[in-house]
Amino acid sequence: MEIKKSIFILAFVITVFLLLTILLLGGFLNNERKSSVEDRMTIISDLNDIQTFSLLSDVYGNKLACLAFKSKLAEWDKSLWNLGIKLEQYRVATEEFQKDPFYLEQKNKFNENELLYMAFLTKAKDECNLNQHIISFFYKKSEVCKKCDDQSFVLTDVKRILEDNVSIFSFDSDLNITSVQLLERYYEIGEYPCIIINEEKFCGIIDRNFILAKLGYSG
Amino acid sequence: MNLVYNIFLYALWFLSTYYVIVLILIMLIGRKNLYENKKFNFKKEPRVSVIIPAYNEEGKIKFTIKSLKKVRYKNIEFIIVNDGSEDGTSEEVKEYIKGDPKFIFIDRKENKGKAASLNDGIARASGEYVATMDADSVIEPGIFYKTIPYFSDEKTAAVTVSVLVKDPESFIHKIFEMEYIIGLSLYLKVFSFFNGIFVTPGPFSIYRKGIIQKIGGFDEKSITEDMEIAYRIQKNHYKIVHCLEAKAYTILPPTFKKITVQRRRWYSGALHTLAKHRNVLLNRKYGAFGFVAFLNYLLIFLGLVLFLSTLYLFGSNLVEGLLHLKYSNLDLWLRIKSAEFDILTMSRAAILGFVSVSFTVFSLVLGLIMTRTDIKKKKLGILGYPFLFFLYQYFWLVSIIKVIGGKGIKWR
Repeated sequence: MEIKKSIFILAFVITVFLLLTILLLGGFLNNERKSSVEDRMTIISDLNDIQTFSLLSDVYGNKLACLAFKSKLAEWDKSLWNLGIKLEQYRVATEEFQKDPFYLEQKNKFNENELLYMAFLTKAKDECNLNQHIISFFYKKSEVCKKCDDQSFVLTDVKRILEDNVSIFSFDSDLNITSVQLLERYYEIGEYPCIIINEEKFCGIIDRNFILAKLGYSG
Repeated sequence: MNLVYNIFLYALWFLSTYYVIVLILIMLIGRKNLYENKKFNFKKEPRVSVIIPAYNEEGKIKFTIKSLKKVRYKNIEFIIVNDGSEDGTSEEVKEYIKGDPKFIFIDRKENKGKAASLNDGIARASGEYVATMDADSVIEPGIFYKTIPYFSDEKTAAVTVSVLVKDPESFIHKIFEMEYIIGLSLYLKVFSFFNGIFVTPGPFSIYRKGIIQKIGGFDEKSITEDMEIAYRIQKNHYKIVHCLEAKAYTILPPTFKKITVQRRRWYSGALHTLAKHRNVLLNRKYGAFGFVAFLNYLLIFLGLVLFLSTLYLFGSNLVEGLLHLKYSNLDLWLRIKSAEFDILTMSRAAILGFVSVSFTVFSLVLGLIMTRTDIKKKKLGILGYPFLFFLYQYFWLVSIIKVIGGKGIKWR
């Protein structure tokens, strides 16, 4: 049987076609990831309600504002937590050849709004007698803070165990967001990872049992 | 690391996919020629000598002898060469060949190696054609009526046959069975379409004696004499053709450890053969053979680099994961329980991997259809087939270490 050169050319064309399909599929997934993040980011516009609730509280007292806030708390909390996780997962899936500026921008926006929500939640916790634990987590990128990854892992477990009973906020110190820097100064954070459990500071890696015990749960 | 890793990943993916697509296209275009079923048009059967070197084959060689006794070809002699076995091979051979004039037994006390045994057999052979056969293999009774007609072209120096696994039972044997059906049967036929066969498998191959003697017989220094002689046949511009319809069956080593020993010998021998005949690589003088040999070794090299870097990445991630778990009561179950599948977390590298595995399984199933294999009976093998990639890397790695370490490997 004679092998024609056209076979090799056809095979090349098919291989290139397959590769292009994979690259296009990769590009499509990339866009889908971005759309998904953008969709989830709509939670941030919902957070504008916080200002309304604050105003309600000033005008009508805590009772009305607390009622409104309690109805929204679980939803916001869950959406913000999931958004944070998705942002990280998608960034890892996308980051093949270079860091994608889209995720940095979104993360910035996310961190700023997380802070806004955390501040309101802290205020509402006292005024509305909420039995809600608050943990804020300050970290740097894993290249300079290996333990930060470990701490993030532990906090993910804590959230999985306590679910809606705890709100965890993660702040990327490398993003140099002014309000985050202010908070770091307020808590006098000098090393990473560092977590604030209900206003009590713990720096260095803190294990799951310790955190759960601090929150009144047995490990 | 990421950039270099990705370059290797894409290069390996492209080359291996291209290679397999070329083979599939040739297979599809030449599907009517896969089973040539050449007619045996000889007035008188040409004389054939079958040489069976044996080293410590007690318990196995009797099955080989039994299968030889069933061979229908009449003008034939069987030369068993005992290569200084330390077990009861000699006694077993004597017992089973007793009274059969077709058998010649060379009972050598000294262990000289397989190639030397084959050369001794050739020296004693009276046939125009010599078939070589492993002492742990069996052949179908009509094999010579199927293979001899392939020598109608005077330039044909050797005919290879489909080498299949005899009674595969364990999962690992079922995986390797797929490799034999595809790699040592179907693809050899595809390679033969462009004279690219690089091995005349030890379990059974048949040669034109005159040509083998002319090119100097088997290389006694080689531990993979079946590959070395194929290179020399190709370099001397003779042909090796494949007869897909003729079948020989070989027994796989029973344990993974023994399979590793066998593969280490094969792959170390392949490296030695490559070093000896490196001038064939990309050499136009040797036609497609030079390109096939080059592509094979390039893919092996790239596969190994990719495997090692993946192993490194996987290892470091595993260590990292274990460290994470250390601070979380080693609670792996919580992780598993809350894991969720999100297609958007798939990176391009993961898509490449997924496509490769799917493509591997597709080409395997297509190959099984082409070789008229009952797919329903091969489900386990098909499932495990993609894991061969990892096994190959492991075998290559241990072989390279052996070769670099300069440690000698015997043929058994």
